Amino acid sequence: MNLKFELNDSIKARLKLREGEKIYYSIPVDIDDDGNWTDDSFLVVTTLRVFTFISGKETFYEIKELQKALAEAGVGGGILVLRKDGEDMLVAHYSSKHLSRYAYIARGINILISGRYEEVISTEYEKICPHCGRVIPGTKTCPKCSGNGGFFKILKKTVAPYRKDLVYISFLMVSVAVTTLLNPEVQKRLINNVLKINGSYKTALVYLALMFVLSVAIVVINILKSIATAKLGSKISADLRRDLFEKCQKLPLSFINERRPGELLNRITDDTRFVSEFCADVFCNLFAVFFIFVWDVIFMLVLDWKLALLTFSVVPFVTFFMFYLRKTISRVFRVQNKKNDDVASDLQDVISGMRIVKSYGKEEIEADRFKVLSGEFAEIQKRNERFWGMFDFVLSFCMGIGVVIVVYFGGRSVLDLKMSAGELYQFISYTLLLFQYVGWLGRVPRELSKLKSSLERIYDVLSQEAPEEDPALVQEVDIKGEIRFDHATFGYKSYQPVLEDINAVIKPGEMIGIVGASGTGKSTLINLLMRLYETDDGSILVDGVEMKNISRKSYHSQLGVVLQETFLFSGTITDNIRFSKPDASEAEIIRAAKLANAHTFISKLPDGYNTYVGEKGHSLSGGERQRIAIARAILTDPKILILDEATASLDTESEYMIQKALDRLTYNKTTFAIAHRLSTLKNADRIMVIDDHRIAEFGTHEELLAKKGIFYDLCMAQNLD
Amino acid sequence: MAEDTLNIYEKKAEEMTATNMITKEYRFSKTKGGFLSLEFEGSTYPRIRVVRLFPFSDENKYLSIREYGNGDKEIGIIEDLSLMSEDTQKLISEQLKLYYFTPVINKILSIKDEYGYAYFHVKTDKGECRFAINMGANAVTKLSDTRLIIKDVDENRFEIKDIDELTSKERRMLDLFL
Repeated sequence: MNLKFELNDSIKARLKLREGEKIYYSIPVDIDDDGNWTDDSFLVVTTLRVFTFISGKETFYEIKELQKALAEAGVGGGILVLRKDGEDMLVAHYSSKHLSRYAYIARGINILISGRYEEVISTEYEKICPHCGRVIPGTKTCPKCSGNGGFFKILKKTVAPYRKDLVYISFLMVSVAVTTLLNPEVQKRLINNVLKINGSYKTALVYLALMFVLSVAIVVINILKSIATAKLGSKISADLRRDLFEKCQKLPLSFINERRPGELLNRITDDTRFVSEFCADVFCNLFAVFFIFVWDVIFMLVLDWKLALLTFSVVPFVTFFMFYLRKTISRVFRVQNKKNDDVASDLQDVISGMRIVKSYGKEEIEADRFKVLSGEFAEIQKRNERFWGMFDFVLSFCMGIGVVIVVYFGGRSVLDLKMSAGELYQFISYTLLLFQYVGWLGRVPRELSKLKSSLERIYDVLSQEAPEEDPALVQEVDIKGEIRFDHATFGYKSYQPVLEDINAVIKPGEMIGIVGASGTGKSTLINLLMRLYETDDGSILVDGVEMKNISRKSYHSQLGVVLQETFLFSGTITDNIRFSKPDASEAEIIRAAKLANAHTFISKLPDGYNTYVGEKGHSLSGGERQRIAIARAILTDPKILILDEATASLDTESEYMIQKALDRLTYNKTTFAIAHRLSTLKNADRIMVIDDHRIAEFGTHEELLAKKGIFYDLCMAQNLD
Repeated sequence: MAEDTLNIYEKKAEEMTATNMITKEYRFSKTKGGFLSLEFEGSTYPRIRVVRLFPFSDENKYLSIREYGNGDKEIGIIEDLSLMSEDTQKLISEQLKLYYFTPVINKILSIKDEYGYAYFHVKTDKGECRFAINMGANAVTKLSDTRLIIKDVDENRFEIKDIDELTSKERRMLDLFL
């Protein structure tokens, strides 16, 4: 994301920098003091000052006089606030377009305030292309502006491995073309040589046989072609899907979170499907259609160039008309689809909320509402069907006009004996072919650009550099378990920090209970410890080594995790326990299960440790799943343990069993445990209370109780249950 | 001890359910930095926030006045801004402008759709502008039969107060989203 926009000349002229003062950031302010759009206003941050140039008005703040910069998000926009002498100053007002940009700027100013001179760089992508103003579909560069060269290179790269299939299919295509073009020729001869007053029955049979063979050939070749293209298509999409999936697994979670939900899923399913469809349908046909088209035109010109030119002159009108019709059709059907979605989602809403609807006795109101919606849909559908009914006729009429012209002028030539009846017939056949393929070719540019954006989106993921660890920089460590948070700051969205300035030192083997209201950042803290994300600012040190300098493999092999939502993969219980340590022996698995208090219930299952669980398998209770997760964590004998609400929403008995299992698990290991029920934290050495994105309280039970702060209140409230 | 805490909690719960109506006695004033401070019966709030509780259906009624920081606790509710003093009305409206930016579309100059995105060129009460919406997502929300909120790819909001007031040409352009 661009944080350094080009300033216009008048601002450049007014910006008088002091000696050694450097411009760090310059970004637009798009709302002026009256709340109207403006396009000539800017905010400039230098190493010493923050300037604003808003509708000709210039203000500046000395960074050394500031205490804090804040980018506050509102509805549809936000404001930049600078705190000076304890007073909040409104500095700039901007629309949502610049929300993230200002969050980076605020972070940048805060770094300058703290006396450091690092420049903040944003790796986020722009949403709108700065050159052409088009939306960038989640890719790094704008597909339109990145240029055709790149696209064809990508296309070539995509289809290169399938060269053999493509050659085979192209060969079949040409065969289709040849047989298609040959058919009218044979028919012409049949008419000219046989269907005349003294034509012989025998020659007629020969021609008919020839036509029969040709027809059979067309069918056979088409079937072969369909099989081959379908095979190729599925091969390409399977390969692309696999590549994409592999890449997604390797990419950091932040890459996945930066994208809209479902977008990646779409790339894996829809975009790959489109590419395969394109390769199978368009790319392969393209060759054949061009071939037919060119020869079709040549044949027509040879047969009767005047008539051919006359026919061609109709083509632009017909194509234009067809194009227009198609556009209208796609528009009206889009409206219908949208209404259809409305009806479907409303129906789903009411049906899934049936208990509520019935218990409040609102059936009639809902029925009436649905009637209106459904009526609207029916109206649109009626209109569209009428339109659709006409479409085919209108289309054939258009083609018909071409044929009428040909028949009229050609017929006159036949009557004048300038042309044979067979030739006229052949000419008409070619005319029909021409119209058929003109329509098809008209679709190609559209399909090409659709393909282009699909390919761009796919290659945006594939070309991402997954953070490969440099073996020279990272080290293998034998973790003892000391964890130190050093000014750690992090947010999922650049403009919304979830954790701010976390500082704490945790001794090896200590158990830390983490409490706080929901949404304050507890789980985020744990995500950072699990290394799913990296801190935006500051760092986390393990045994004095910065986390990012420890090899991922070595870190994760010494980390155990039990989460609230226990996820069991489809597979057996053994598979699920073994997930953390694929080479664990049966004996090890049993030992882990015993320690997790899972052995007893597993032995009672008819299939024992081979019981199939997961989405389609044996359904285990919440407590049982939890204990399998604990066994999974025990198996690796982790040095750092993370428990996120591991005992929430379980019945008392299983909670007791799990608590026992957890006690064994956490013994002598650095443990972070999130819990709402404070009773589960009675073994914790210290409690960390997170509130408002920061550590609000940190200390032992007794210390925090004596403090009578948030923790005290929580304890008291829960004792009263 | 537990008894005390129980009382504290009871009190807190009571406080949360109680609604404090803000009347003319509350004194709002503009701070040096361009925000609002509030004074009432000895309590001073150096900076307050104004939140619309019904931003669509009643934008100037039921405004929640909240502390800035300290959990953004609610100080009280202004039931109807138009019943407040003129000064207060002006001050509050100014703050609302800062936190709610929803240009109202007066005229649609063009809508172009291209590969899943629609590009609008419009005249709004905040000036002329261009924006793009994702046609796949639910970018257009119907507040009523004639009132629309359009969210662009950057999550900016645009409002069309009454589609019946648009010309038939503009409506045809919009048809796709209705």
